[in-house]
Amino acid sequence: MTEMRYRVVKPALAEASPSEKDTAPVMQAIDIQHRYGDAEILRGISFALHPGEKVVLLGCNGSGKSTLLKILNGLIQPTAGHFMYQNEPITPKRLRTPELHRRFRHEVALLFQNPDAMLFNPTVFDEIAFGPRQLGLQDVSDRVNHWAEQVGVSRHLSRPPFSLSGGEKQKVCLAALLALDPKVLLLDEPTAALDPRSTGWLIDFLSGLGITILTTTHNLSLAPELGNRALVLGEDHSLIYDGPIQTLLADMERLAAANLVHTHRHRHGNIEHRHTHVHDWQ
Amino acid sequence: MNPDRVRLIAYLAAVLAVSIIHQPLWLALGLGLTLLAGGREAGSILRRAIRAVLLFNLLISLSYLVMAWLHAVSPWQMLLRLNLRVLLLTSLTFLFIARVNLFRALDFSRNLTYVLGLAYSQSLTFRRAHDDFRLALASRSLRRPGLRDRYRASAAAISWFIEKSLHAANQSAQALRSRGFFHD
Repeated sequence: MTEMRYRVVKPALAEASPSEKDTAPVMQAIDIQHRYGDAEILRGISFALHPGEKVVLLGCNGSGKSTLLKILNGLIQPTAGHFMYQNEPITPKRLRTPELHRRFRHEVALLFQNPDAMLFNPTVFDEIAFGPRQLGLQDVSDRVNHWAEQVGVSRHLSRPPFSLSGGEKQKVCLAALLALDPKVLLLDEPTAALDPRSTGWLIDFLSGLGITILTTTHNLSLAPELGNRALVLGEDHSLIYDGPIQTLLADMERLAAANLVHTHRHRHGNIEHRHTHVHDWQ
Repeated sequence: MNPDRVRLIAYLAAVLAVSIIHQPLWLALGLGLTLLAGGREAGSILRRAIRAVLLFNLLISLSYLVMAWLHAVSPWQMLLRLNLRVLLLTSLTFLFIARVNLFRALDFSRNLTYVLGLAYSQSLTFRRAHDDFRLALASRSLRRPGLRDRYRASAAAISWFIEKSLHAANQSAQALRSRGFFHD
């Protein structure tokens, strides 16, 4: 366990280009609010994602991260507010239009936190081929082999996906989404089912992808590896920070307000004291 | 006695009465009274009850119609009784769920509260998981999923739920044993 605030943060490998912010946003959330019955899940969320950006969405458990990703994937209609994809408003109702549905599902992919929810085909090959087959592509087999090799599941292609470990399932899901060549990848706690070696692999793998990626995590120590801009959902379900990760990491007050750091008694040699910090692995 | 426990007793008595009564007129009256007690939610309770029993009642009713035709007897009294009884029991249950805090109703028994707590937490977890399975299929489908895809997705979800249920039941039993719940 190490203390995060004293750590030198290295920037993510795939930095956004300087002109990135000048380009039109690929996705825009505008004053999104969401409730389940009496419970407030999201409050007044507004931000924009630009092409090629790697953004990390941070927040403690129950802050609304997963719900926000589902809204951005057009699966849930927010109670109020809306979001745009390439300047086009997206709602579950509008997605009933076959052309828009096909284009949006092709270009915006969501990796669920529970990979089991995404797997239902008889073999890993069929799982990865599911999307390309719907597009009627001619090179389905090549795509499947390419992405299976990229994520390291080639040897499992003929196996049922249900028999794989949690980390392997996560990789199969990722390959299944990438086989569609999406423009935006929404990742919900992608490291939750991974061991440390696979987490390292995932960080390298994602940094090499030249597409827009929004990744949720409550693991603060992983955040600077997954992107260079942070969005933080507070415990009151509003967006309390949107900016560079390095600036956020230096702001202990804000991190504490978002319940992303904790205080407890611990020892340094013979000295015992308390202060706010984060652990590398939570 | 707290109001929730009174309602629980009333519900159990009503279920018993509905199971004993055979006259369709009384069953219809019971349904009317239940919806009246539902107040503004009466429409929603009736809609949900009809949706919940539609397939089951349709299958049973059709089977009974065939049997009655083969034996040359009139099916209508029986069909009316059966459908009214099932609809009344389902509406009563929906009304009960909407009006009663089960935890308060069962707070006279520590064991029953434990069992209810376990069942409730499992049902919440499974409801969230069910939503995820449904949304994941929608998210991955570039066109309306075909029958084969829906069948496969449902089979995968059912298999996952069975596996998780067994695991969760095992974990719960171990946790309860660890906390001294069982004395074996």
